[in-house]
Amino acid sequence: MQEQPENWEPRIIAFLCSWCSYAGADLAGVSRRRYSPNVRIVKVPCSGRVNPFYIVKSLQQGCDGVLVSGCHPGECHYSNGNYYARRRFAILKRLLEYIGLEEGRVHFSWVSASEGDKFAKVVNEVTETVRKLGPATRLVKHSPVDGVVN
Amino acid sequence: MRTTPRILSSEKIMKTIKKDKINTVLDFLIKKYQVFGPVQKDDLVVDFGRIQNGAQACLEFSNTNEPAKKLFFPQAETLFSYTGSDAAQVSELKPEKPRIIFGMRPCDAKSLSLLDAVFDGPDYKDPYYIVKRKNTTIFTLACRRPRSNCFCDSLGIGPFSKKDTDVFMADLGDRYVFEPITPGGADILNKIPGLENARPTDAERLKNLRSEAESKVARKVDLDNLPEKLARIFDHPFWDGIHQKCLGCGICTYLCPTCHCFDIVDEQKDDKGRRIRIWDSCSYPTFTLEASGHNPRATGKERMRQRLMHKFRYFVENYGEIACVGCGRCINHCPVGSDLIREIENINNLK
Amino acid sequence: MDLQTKLRQEARKLLEEKLVDVVIGYEDEGAPLRTTPCFITDPQDVDRLVWNPFCDHNLARYLTARKDKAAVVAKGCDTRAIVVLINENQIERKNVNILGMPCGGIVDRKKIYNHLKNGDVREAVLKDKVITVKGLEFTADLMVDDFLADCCLSCRHRNPVLCDVQIGENLPPLDVKDEYKKIKQLEESTSEERWEYFRKTLSKCIRCYACREACPLCYCQQCFTDQNFPAWVGKTTDISDTIVFHIMRAFHTTGRCVDCGACERSCPNNVDIRMLTKKIAKDVKELFGDEAGLQLEEKAPLSFYNEDDPQDFIK
Ligand code: SF4
Ligand code: SF4
Ligand code: FES
Repeated sequence: MQEQPENWEPRIIAFLCSWCSYAGADLAGVSRRRYSPNVRIVKVPCSGRVNPFYIVKSLQQGCDGVLVSGCHPGECHYSNGNYYARRRFAILKRLLEYIGLEEGRVHFSWVSASEGDKFAKVVNEVTETVRKLGPATRLVKHSPVDGVVN
Repeated sequence: MRTTPRILSSEKIMKTIKKDKINTVLDFLIKKYQVFGPVQKDDLVVDFGRIQNGAQACLEFSNTNEPAKKLFFPQAETLFSYTGSDAAQVSELKPEKPRIIFGMRPCDAKSLSLLDAVFDGPDYKDPYYIVKRKNTTIFTLACRRPRSNCFCDSLGIGPFSKKDTDVFMADLGDRYVFEPITPGGADILNKIPGLENARPTDAERLKNLRSEAESKVARKVDLDNLPEKLARIFDHPFWDGIHQKCLGCGICTYLCPTCHCFDIVDEQKDDKGRRIRIWDSCSYPTFTLEASGHNPRATGKERMRQRLMHKFRYFVENYGEIACVGCGRCINHCPVGSDLIREIENINNLK
Repeated sequence: MDLQTKLRQEARKLLEEKLVDVVIGYEDEGAPLRTTPCFITDPQDVDRLVWNPFCDHNLARYLTARKDKAAVVAKGCDTRAIVVLINENQIERKNVNILGMPCGGIVDRKKIYNHLKNGDVREAVLKDKVITVKGLEFTADLMVDDFLADCCLSCRHRNPVLCDVQIGENLPPLDVKDEYKKIKQLEESTSEERWEYFRKTLSKCIRCYACREACPLCYCQQCFTDQNFPAWVGKTTDISDTIVFHIMRAFHTTGRCVDCGACERSCPNNVDIRMLTKKIAKDVKELFGDEAGLQLEEKAPLSFYNEDDPQDFIK
């Protein structure tokens, strides 16, 4: 863990399936559930649409945390997109943490359209975990950087 | 093209220092210059790196894995950058603290004169290259132990070549000797404290070491008729076979001290951006891929032919010299064991 | 009859009877400790073929680009790569004739250079299991088994898993003690240590893509590294770009990598590439129970799922 700059707020990107978690986020809002404003939401048609590259690129571009959320097993609108996604993310999460990304930067959840409360809880948890880790440094590309050897 | 003034041999005073004092020479230079030299990256890899204190230099090495070109023509180099609507900043052109490259091999030193022809030639001047080149003094270290795939001899260079350098150094066993080649080199040499005048026998000693080293350059290749030969065999069926085992990776070109093809890439994030020049390679299909999808060098055959033609024919036509210095890196590191010398022999033997 | 002679006989037969258009094998061009891939079309030339512990390339790599019928000399791991290629519809079973070689392991010449303190080997003669290496200032007798590639030390499939002709008898399975020892050690270290380890080894990468080109399974017509709209991975040598390249290349081998080690051996800068691919293979086995390239008609683990796949990492 490192020192946190003053006024630093974690920047978290959330890839949400439009059929479930995105609607869950909506519900959380409509029912005035308070949740941390640190997530920026990207709506995707299905968790299976989330290319692992989205996650890695987000981290490279300086996101402090990433959340991917989809429909519960058995409830995917396209019947099995989330099952494929689950396998991919299982491998990717282990790989990222193995190369030295701090545990707690990438998160996955199943949140249905009716789970506004769960959505708020997940987002708050994710934000707090990332907050504890501090600003992301590993994997982040600091440009412009020169290629001159030194 | 750069013409390096050489100093008269009568003014050349060779200097020497005990081997265990060489770090003091480096430590002195580091105070006034940015010094780059061979550093150990792992058990097998020695590469040029910035030296912050003399002890970091590794002068017992055969040759660096990567060639010295990256110090003048870095693998990725920012050409300019910008923020918001500000005018672009061309930051690279401010000369930095003068640099010394300590311990470059004669083949790499020669390669710089070939790169000069491209980046500092009559038709085209590359400011990014030139600013670094002008700002740099080169200390060449003679090769006492040429490796099995070295063939610098065949390119008229040789392990004790003094061409294209500012100061020539050689390892005498217990001492190093330094010979100034250019006035700039002589200036620096004169300022280094602790150097003694070389002994009267050292010149003779150098001569012997030189022939000893030259006798260790085991591989030779006949390049006399190669450019003309290549001009005649562009459509020869020979090219159908030679590329078959080539993987199309970029090792031979990236590790070649004379290869200099590049790509230009723009990067942008938020309101910041930059334009970068990045090494590219004629071995890659993307090098010639056009926006339409057409690729004039569609297969490995055309790409392999281009690599050989460029080095041994087009470069000769353009600049009068072969674009190879015989360092052997492409042979040492080719993952499938392609051997440039053998390919040239095969070409020489073609009817 | 030794395996090399048998191999040549088989190759001659295949070419003479016109069962194949080309035999892809190894030849010795005289460079010490190395062989080089060769493509033989004339039965007269089969005596160029060699078989020895320096036959370290994975020749399956050459199959995807071909339209003709090819016979290929393949070690255990190479046959696994061929199985993956067939399963992924990259080659047709009928177009490839596999000359399967039971393999006692291949030599990693970088280990020899290391042992010789980077000594310059000018000559190497192999007799039985002893390599006599000569440089200008040294001669040494080295045992093949002391310099086997890491992937061979933990190899569980030394015999061809699929072939048309097998050259020689099956070898007994290797007694592999701890296949994932290095991976486990790294897993047990701290996140900082692991980051430092990968940052260090990957900072040597010069993005030449030899690892990708040597891999039989990196056959994509357009690799993500070559896409520029969008540019998935930056082309610079910024460590961030290099690490992203390696994460994604390794990820793309998930459940497909056969641990032949070709990527790592091809690297000019000794980047520890297998530490990524092997880790994924370990996880695939743990999570989904799969091992790549053992059976025809087998699916890659990321191309199917089980409803009860592990999901304890999901909130
Ligand atoms: S072969 Fe080595 S240097 Fe080349 S891209 Fe792969 S890891 Fe990097
Ligand atoms: S990733 Fe490396 S070890 Fe795995 S199949 Fe490809 S070349 Fe072989
Ligand atoms: S539709 Fe929600 S995960 Fe597939």
